Amino acid sequence: MSGAVSGLEGVGLGLRWEFLDEVLEGPTLDVAFFEVCPENYMRRGGWYPHALSRVRERYPIVTHGLTLSIGSSAPPPEDYLTELRAETRRLGTPWHSDHLCLTSAGPLVLHELLPLQQTSKNARRAAEHLCRARDHLGLPMLVENITWYAHPGQRELPEADFITEVVERADAGLLLDVNNVWVNSQNHGLDAQAFIAALPLERVRQIHVAGHTRTESGLILDTHGAPVVDPVIDLLEWTLRRTGPVPVLLERDNDVPELSELLDEVRALSAAYRRALAQPEVLLARSA
Amino acid sequence: MADLVLGRGADDASSLEAWLARNGVGEADAAAIMQQGAERFSIYRKLVRGTLRDAVLCAIPRSVARLGPVFDEYFERYLGERGPRSRYLRDVTTELLDFCAPLWPADPRVPAWAMDLARHEAVQIVVASELGRVPGDARPELRLEAPVRFIEAARLMRYAHAVHRLAEDPADRISPVAAPTALLVYRSPEHDVRYLELTPLAADILERLLRRVPLGQAVGEACASAGRALDATVVEGTAALLADLAERGALVGSLDGDE
Repeated sequence: MSGAVSGLEGVGLGLRWEFLDEVLEGPTLDVAFFEVCPENYMRRGGWYPHALSRVRERYPIVTHGLTLSIGSSAPPPEDYLTELRAETRRLGTPWHSDHLCLTSAGPLVLHELLPLQQTSKNARRAAEHLCRARDHLGLPMLVENITWYAHPGQRELPEADFITEVVERADAGLLLDVNNVWVNSQNHGLDAQAFIAALPLERVRQIHVAGHTRTESGLILDTHGAPVVDPVIDLLEWTLRRTGPVPVLLERDNDVPELSELLDEVRALSAAYRRALAQPEVLLARSA
Repeated sequence: MADLVLGRGADDASSLEAWLARNGVGEADAAAIMQQGAERFSIYRKLVRGTLRDAVLCAIPRSVARLGPVFDEYFERYLGERGPRSRYLRDVTTELLDFCAPLWPADPRVPAWAMDLARHEAVQIVVASELGRVPGDARPELRLEAPVRFIEAARLMRYAHAVHRLAEDPADRISPVAAPTALLVYRSPEHDVRYLELTPLAADILERLLRRVPLGQAVGEACASAGRALDATVVEGTAALLADLAERGALVGSLDGDE
């Protein structure tokens, strides 16, 4: 069972500019850590990087990127990795994470997480790109499972196997987004617990939870624009009983409410966290 | 997948099928895609557009509001013909405006002041986020024979219309006055973006200084260009301007020879 290898435990919050002033000016919050997207601060001067330095003085920071695009044909560019290295060192993050997806193709950067065709070839390439990033950053790398609405072609591997192949080839950690698993299970008729059980849970180093939006057609979109729903919290507890105490992050990127409301949600998730850890599930075998 | 998301003509089943055939997608992959339905793939088109459009709307809300459907049309053209290139979302607006710059003047639906307003709105984020390695100096020493150093977060903006005088409300539809305008846009030590309206001579002098023309030469050339004598008034005015800019934290000092 994996433990909190970084020393980070408990529930953290995605840092948003909507409540940045409150974080800076107010008393120390009951938040285990903040997570930031480094692309929002890289190659940037002015107020926000300065403010983030001040946040760093009081809270641990973890970085979670958006544009590494390990699924692209081309590896992550050297200049980007160099800038990312500087930023991750500035922030003192214990690892860096990004998504198992495609965000750029050739010169185009789409600013959206596009799914990869789940093939061994793509898994090998993604693993190579992860290793490149790890070596350049000098940091452990975590890769996150994404929400996907359509798969770009024939599937060679089940998704859990695809993810497993990537992280095991790269000897990387897993950032398990429990909300993404749940959204995919609802949209595609999958068993969320079976999916999680098929993953290498000993590699989970961090967990994400978030809210979603339901479209008129019934499709669920991973918008990070609403509170976390009970089924996702239940799935979080179920997962934590199997992973042990890894840090959990609450993501809220859209329709961001007052900080007090988010802190209420962090408290509720913290209670779920403690409940789960009070009833650990010892893993004797992993689903093949 | 990227081409499918940015390109046109794949929003419904028949156009998706045609798109897949045109782009040489293998039979098995195409069948797997069609089985899922065009609606699922169109979600990605909407998500990409939504993220990029939100970033642009945040940067240039008045321009987007005033142009209305014409903006939407150029936004789609930008996506289809050029596409975002920077991995920093805040750069999308500048990329879009660079794409539109040669096109808007020829389009009678686009007001003559539109690019001025868009650039004026966009420069706020550019200056606010510019990397600043050197702080301003409140009492710099300046030498006539040396160029002057400004903070990195400073831009000289020139417009043909007084767009800086328009109301901030995106619902406002009053057209700006056609008047040549020059502004120095800079970031204060407190990280605020400030705007300083310049006279034509001041703008010409600063433009040269920003290009690292030595101070004395910059003033002389600007006067000559304006058909104006380099007299005591100009010298005192320039000194006062540069002292003011130093006080504001926008000016650093004279550049050393090896810089």
